[in-house]
Amino acid sequence: MDVLLNEDEEMIRDGVRRFFDAECSPDRVRGIEDGGARTDPELWRQLAELGWLGLALPSVYGGGEAPFTQLTVLFEEAGRALAPVPLHPHVVTALALAEAVGRGECGPLAATLVSEACVGDSLLTWAWSERLPGMGPETIELSATADGNGWRLNGHKGMVEAFEIAGHCLVAARTQTGGSANGGLTLLLVAPNAPGVSAVARRTLAGDFQSEVHFDNVYVDGDGLVGRVDEGWDLARPMLQRAMVLNCAMIVGATRRAAERAFDYAKERHAFGHPIGSFQAIQHTCADMITWVDGAELLTREAAWHIAQGSDAGLAAAAAKAFTNERCQAVLREANQIHGGYAQVREYDQQLWYRRAAAWSMRLGTSMEHRRAVAQALEL
Amino acid sequence: MDFGFSEENEAFRAEIRAFIAENVSPEIVQEMHDGTQGAGIGPLTKDLIHKIGQRGWIGMSWPEEYGGRDADIIDQYIFEEELARARVPLNLGNFIEQAPAIMNAGTEAQKQYFLPRLVRGDVTFALGYTEPSGGTDLASLKTRAVADGDDFVINGQKVFTTRAESSSHIYLMARTDPEAPKHRGISIFLVPMDTPGITVRPLWTLPGGRTNEVFLEDVRVPKESMLGAENEGWNIGASALNLGRAGARRYCIYVSPFEDLLKYLQTDDLGRDIARDPVVRDKVAELYCEAQVARLFTMRSLSMVRRGQNPPYEISSEKIWGPEFQVRTTEAASQILGPYHQLWEGEAAPNGGSFPRQYVNAMVSTFGHGSTQVMRTAIARRGLGLPRE
Ligand SMILES: Cc1cc2nc3c(=O)[nH]c(=O)nc-3n(C[C@H](O)[C@H](O)[C@H](O)COP(=O)(O)OP(=O)(O)OC[C@H]3O[C@@H](n4cnc5c(N)ncnc54)[C@H](O)[C@@H]3O)c2cc1C
Repeated sequence: MDVLLNEDEEMIRDGVRRFFDAECSPDRVRGIEDGGARTDPELWRQLAELGWLGLALPSVYGGGEAPFTQLTVLFEEAGRALAPVPLHPHVVTALALAEAVGRGECGPLAATLVSEACVGDSLLTWAWSERLPGMGPETIELSATADGNGWRLNGHKGMVEAFEIAGHCLVAARTQTGGSANGGLTLLLVAPNAPGVSAVARRTLAGDFQSEVHFDNVYVDGDGLVGRVDEGWDLARPMLQRAMVLNCAMIVGATRRAAERAFDYAKERHAFGHPIGSFQAIQHTCADMITWVDGAELLTREAAWHIAQGSDAGLAAAAAKAFTNERCQAVLREANQIHGGYAQVREYDQQLWYRRAAAWSMRLGTSMEHRRAVAQALEL
Repeated sequence: MDFGFSEENEAFRAEIRAFIAENVSPEIVQEMHDGTQGAGIGPLTKDLIHKIGQRGWIGMSWPEEYGGRDADIIDQYIFEEELARARVPLNLGNFIEQAPAIMNAGTEAQKQYFLPRLVRGDVTFALGYTEPSGGTDLASLKTRAVADGDDFVINGQKVFTTRAESSSHIYLMARTDPEAPKHRGISIFLVPMDTPGITVRPLWTLPGGRTNEVFLEDVRVPKESMLGAENEGWNIGASALNLGRAGARRYCIYVSPFEDLLKYLQTDDLGRDIARDPVVRDKVAELYCEAQVARLFTMRSLSMVRRGQNPPYEISSEKIWGPEFQVRTTEAASQILGPYHQLWEGEAAPNGGSFPRQYVNAMVSTFGHGSTQVMRTAIARRGLGLPRE
């Protein structure tokens, strides 16, 4: 037991931070948002070259085969830097494909995509949630009906990241109705430009885009199958857990940076002839901020550790997400409070962290939903 | 990051559990409970401390020459966690806080005398820090120790001196130089409680336990009873206090009301019915997440201490989060159990009435041993480098 970063993890943290400090300034982040771009292609190319897109993917496909804990550290840093690239959907999808390949539960397409994912040649994303804000399997209604060697998809997905620029999207569909909510799901790879697919991209609070995607009799052939028919939950469950933990890592990374900016500001900004950071009320607020973000970080890392161990991370990931969503929002709010009016101004940088980390906390399941999962896991 | 315990650690945990199953009877638990109500340490309890001491578990991470076994502090954490889970009050002998101070600052004679006796449970300390003038601003204490030949003569008053009625010694902070700045004129004395001039008067607390006022009137002690150098007492005491704030023992205190509540909702007939309410489930799940944070803060402090780091603010975070979580839990429990939560005794009282006791007891953690306000200031100044006004 040693919950601090080990040497390898520290190396990843320091290396990634140095890279982003040099390459990913707030101005660059701002530029991507203001231009309405979906990604920063140059930054993406660099991340691929450094081997970070495939950090935790199997080495046979060109990945770094690093443990999930190291990947989590990478995501903390990407969140801290507000890296304007679709790292999260890409890596989450690639890991799910790699798992299916490892289990021998997919065709050659998935294996090819994992190789391409490592070098950044093919951008991957995934489509899960539909109408309700929740992430449970019962929310999946998009139907896939067998058609010859493949399937026909009909329905819609509500919030898909980087959809228009992705090469492939892993779509959760219902191949069977009537059984348990977990049963009857199937994961299928769809090309965003396939006939019958239409998408509308919408700006988010974070300044990026989420697409609403409609599937009108879209044909997916047998090679698009990932995992087993009707038993997609087997793959989706660990995929969602990884997605939640990596999302928490980004929130924690960005929130910590927002808090550090507030601590620095409290040392410089004067009121009534004193630095505001010398007032006990501000000091105590800062003490809570660091305590909360540290708590979220530890929960996140513990869940990541469970995943790296190959043990079930359901409870740990739900606890991390429920806590991180709410406590990090509270940290961001207090960081804004310390900045006073300047936190409200677009020209001033603080809002870059605030809007993104807050928006990320609204993705991948609400605190209420995750607490419901916690209560269930506790056999209440 | 490694959140797991090694096979050796787990084997040790199994050993402790077996020991508890064999040696901690309901009679002993009852006797220990009575001990906190003023009865003092009974024979069964003393025998238990002896047995624990014989196995080298009391000062586990101490050097072997002092009766410890040089064990990994993780084993000590496991030991504390398991005993706390079995509701064995671990502060019986104060071996965790005072022994390290004696090891660091004591003379050879003091080490030879106190350490083996602490390990065997023959010496127990009452903590004579707080005075009527205030516990948070401890350095303002007024009890005076005046040199007189080979002795010191001590006059003053302590308050909230828990277990003074049953301890063999008092670990006493007194002012030896009234002219020096307040932190620089304090010394520590290790004084037998049967020294003439010491009077103990009980103060009964809300949950039903006993603490005391201790009056010191011309208490004459030899100079050898001073721990460390004269006027250096503040530093010795402060380091003991900081370490005393971490560890499984305290985290277990913070989360035990939650664990009791959870168990009640999981296993009791009424509890299970109450736990069907989704609003209750949401609250309990929230508390669960927060309890994990309390546990993880302790694991973090331990990881840092084990790496030889002196945590600049992390122990203070632990000392804010845990106690405030404890208070939140008891307040939540009161609204989850409603009218049942007020029952202090009787058949209908959940857990025999332990919940309202925990309710009134919880906030001792938020001001004792470094108040949450002072801890917040310490984080801000020491951890984050925020300026003084
Ligand atoms: C059951 C029980 C057992 C105890 N056992 C022992 C024992 O064995 N030995 C022992 O020595 N003591 C013991 N104590 C005493 C305990 O340590 C003190 O109560 C504690 O230190 C607080 O001191 P006080 O009660 O004098 O409150 P005060 O010090 O008067 O504090 C009152 C309030 O003022 C706040 N405050 C003080 N300074 C500041 C500041 N700078 N900024 C903001 N807020 C501030 C505090 O946080 C607190 O909320 C025990 C107490 C209890 C209730």
